[in-house]
Amino acid sequence: MTANVALFVTCLVDIMRPRIGFAAIRALEAAGCTVVVPQGQTCCGQPALNSGDRSHAVALAKQTIEALEPYEAIVVPSGSCAGTIRCHYPELFDDDAEWRARAQAVAAKTFEVMAYLDEVCGWKPEGVALPATATYHDSCSGLRQLGIKAQPRRLLKAIDGLSMTPLPGAETCCGFGGTFCVKYPAISNAIVGEKADAIDATGADLLLAGDLGCLMNMAGKLHRNGSKIRAFHAIELISGMGDGPAIGEEA
Amino acid sequence: MTARNAILARLKGPKPIASEAASLLDAPERPAVDASALEAEFLARLALPSVNASHDRIASLADLPAAIARYLTDQQEPLTLCCPPDPRLTACDWSAFTLHADAAPDEGATLAIARRGVAETGSLIFETSPIAPMLPNFLTLHHIVLLAIRDISPHLEDAPPPGPQPRAHYWITGVSGTTDIEGTYVRGAHGPRFLHVILLQE
Amino acid sequence: MSGFTDRADAALADPILKIAVERTTGTAEAKRAIAVDAFPDFEAARTRAAAIKDHVIAHLGAYLEQFEASAIASGAQVHWAQTADEACRIVIDICKAAGARTVARSKSMLGEEIGLPHALEEAGIVRVETDLAEHIIQLADERPSHIIWPAMHKTREQVSALFRAKHANPHEEETIAAMAQSARRELRGAMLGADVGISGANFLIADSGAVCTVTNEGNAELSLVPPRVHIVTAGIEKIVPSMPHAIHMLRMLARSATGAALTQYTTFYTGPKRAGDRDGPEQMHIVLVDNGRTKMREEGLAEMLRCIRCGACMNHCVVFRQIGGHAYGGTYPGPMGAVLTPALDGLAPNRDLAHACTLNGKCQEVCPVKIPLPTLLKGWREKSWREGLEPTSMRWGLGFWAWVARRPALYRLGTAVAIRAIRLIGRKGWIDSLPLASGWTKHRDLPKPAARSFMAQYQQEQRK
Repeated sequence: MTANVALFVTCLVDIMRPRIGFAAIRALEAAGCTVVVPQGQTCCGQPALNSGDRSHAVALAKQTIEALEPYEAIVVPSGSCAGTIRCHYPELFDDDAEWRARAQAVAAKTFEVMAYLDEVCGWKPEGVALPATATYHDSCSGLRQLGIKAQPRRLLKAIDGLSMTPLPGAETCCGFGGTFCVKYPAISNAIVGEKADAIDATGADLLLAGDLGCLMNMAGKLHRNGSKIRAFHAIELISGMGDGPAIGEEA
Repeated sequence: MTARNAILARLKGPKPIASEAASLLDAPERPAVDASALEAEFLARLALPSVNASHDRIASLADLPAAIARYLTDQQEPLTLCCPPDPRLTACDWSAFTLHADAAPDEGATLAIARRGVAETGSLIFETSPIAPMLPNFLTLHHIVLLAIRDISPHLEDAPPPGPQPRAHYWITGVSGTTDIEGTYVRGAHGPRFLHVILLQE
Repeated sequence: MSGFTDRADAALADPILKIAVERTTGTAEAKRAIAVDAFPDFEAARTRAAAIKDHVIAHLGAYLEQFEASAIASGAQVHWAQTADEACRIVIDICKAAGARTVARSKSMLGEEIGLPHALEEAGIVRVETDLAEHIIQLADERPSHIIWPAMHKTREQVSALFRAKHANPHEEETIAAMAQSARRELRGAMLGADVGISGANFLIADSGAVCTVTNEGNAELSLVPPRVHIVTAGIEKIVPSMPHAIHMLRMLARSATGAALTQYTTFYTGPKRAGDRDGPEQMHIVLVDNGRTKMREEGLAEMLRCIRCGACMNHCVVFRQIGGHAYGGTYPGPMGAVLTPALDGLAPNRDLAHACTLNGKCQEVCPVKIPLPTLLKGWREKSWREGLEPTSMRWGLGFWAWVARRPALYRLGTAVAIRAIRLIGRKGWIDSLPLASGWTKHRDLPKPAARSFMAQYQQEQRK
């Protein structure tokens, strides 16, 4: 099967950690896909949507839909951005039948990257080795909006030498919440402080998750606390790039 | 415009279709109960820490006073009992007891007859009536309840009495308790601290 | 800074509060999980419960009329109140007509919502709170901090000190059991000697006119059976069509709140005492309260009216578990409080409640009636934005971001500039202080971005 997929890289990955985008491409190509990166993409509009700024959310949704709709499938290395497109875009066009149909069409073919690789491509990484222990945090949007739970774990299981340690409270929110963490920093800090303690207590070498926002939040706190644990987006390990610099280790 | 009319005016809409309300209850999800072992199911619930009731069995009504005497003596309580004016109890031999009809605020022991038991939850089902006052069942420290085994039904849907409703229809599922301080369970908040069910086989 | 952030900060700085909150919510979470696991097809039961409530909400007027007729037929008197003040006035008038000097109250969040404790005090009527937690906060002159455990914020040491100071015959042992016994002794006489008993209602049964209360302590029955008058104050959304419908909701309620199959006492009151009954009130009054519920139904909050006040949402909320209940500033805390408070008390003073949420969705996942809480909170955020209540800096920031994001070429340029600027500040891989981003860097480090954005690198590679 050769699918023609578009990568929606997300603004956070684009600006803060491009490696994740390249890892996604690498894994998708290994699974037999041809990957295109539509140039008209910028931001899915989630910050506007979650701030109640509906008109800007609609504008950015329209732009994103237009950029993505020509493709067979759209793959996103983020549960929250994929969730925005899949679950929330159609809701934005309740009073606009034409755009609603276009939103639904794009929503139906948009996937979080690990779910796509595991469930649609039926792919597993082969010949990827990384001897280490890792613990996995289930980002809330991916978990509750898209059912992302087993897929990353199945993919990670195929990595030679990688052993997973369960994270107590893996499904508990890390306190990022997009703009929440900067609007209510003290509360966010209290939440991520507990999360960081739980992560540290696992004794794992690596922290993994499927959303960069959550990862930056947790890794940022862990680093501030002096923890030695290293954080990656799970797709980086899955694509064989787990031997690169972890979050915060890039020069 | 009265408040009533103002509120109802804002709620104008179609009348519900009776079949719609009824169809919402098609095969409701509920814990499974083995209908061939209702007594065992009921007793299993009584024993749960959240219910915390003791029990005894008697073959016939005549054995009731002796069973209550056994219980109260075990609990080191006197044979003083608040007893409802239920005609079924007049046939028993209460000579060992001091009986009274009205419960004191710090009543020691009260007898009641449950109309039904529900196996699903270990609940005892009561209604108020001229022969069944309600207050003594809540004032008392020891609540002693007579329940005929044949009156144990599987599910909560079997609990309510048919026809015109009494003033109060109530389910008692275990001893009084509270978790209001630090979420820690303690028993005997305002209601009875002890619940003893005497099952009647006849 | 707002009232909310001040209160949240105070809560975050209070380690005793944190211990108290964690003990209660942690226990509730664990117990609920066990109960849900043991229940056959809890998911289907939630769907059914939501459907029952939606059906009632869609036909609320008709069911209220049916309830009123049934209740009157059973000998009760039914009153209607549009506002909190009206409801209190009705209750006070009934009390005065009955010559009441003392009132015994069993726990009712609706009573709290309409300000009944204050109204009773103003009317010079002695108010005896009989629920243990309500008694504790009455002694402490505080408001409830949780809808199921109003005194959740108090440790046993704090309760012990209160009882020693205020009870006539306080506990000797420093145990919770002894404290509960002290309250039992303290409240017995007042409870039984009250002229009027006031309760809320967990459910109102339309076809019989019955009022259902669920409790664990037995205080409700002891407060409502002895007095001459029983007054019920209930929100109009408490209606269910019939007893079997109530039974389904009851199965969901205790499991979601405390993990029990049922509370110890489930009582259905239908009218005053009957001829020949040995106890029971001579009069029963039911006050049906709107207080914004018809408005909620009209303005996109109909789903919130499904709420059966179980407290599961707040027990599982990461924000509530850090800041406790008082920080929310209203009658109801946690996720359900964040949706209700702007409706009851106005959006402008309460806009923080809709925003102080990570939208993680756990609350919706545990809600027994599947209320889409995050969606309703986003609705408040939209309203807040439309009404211009958002800070100017946020409007400008988002407006700028959106403007740039709609111009991909400009966006590429802008991101390149931003990356360069951020990278100038960080040594090695982490930034521990960033102007304009102190919200982040006060508490955590920020990883430095790579030298070029993904799109810039990708475009360069494509050109090769």
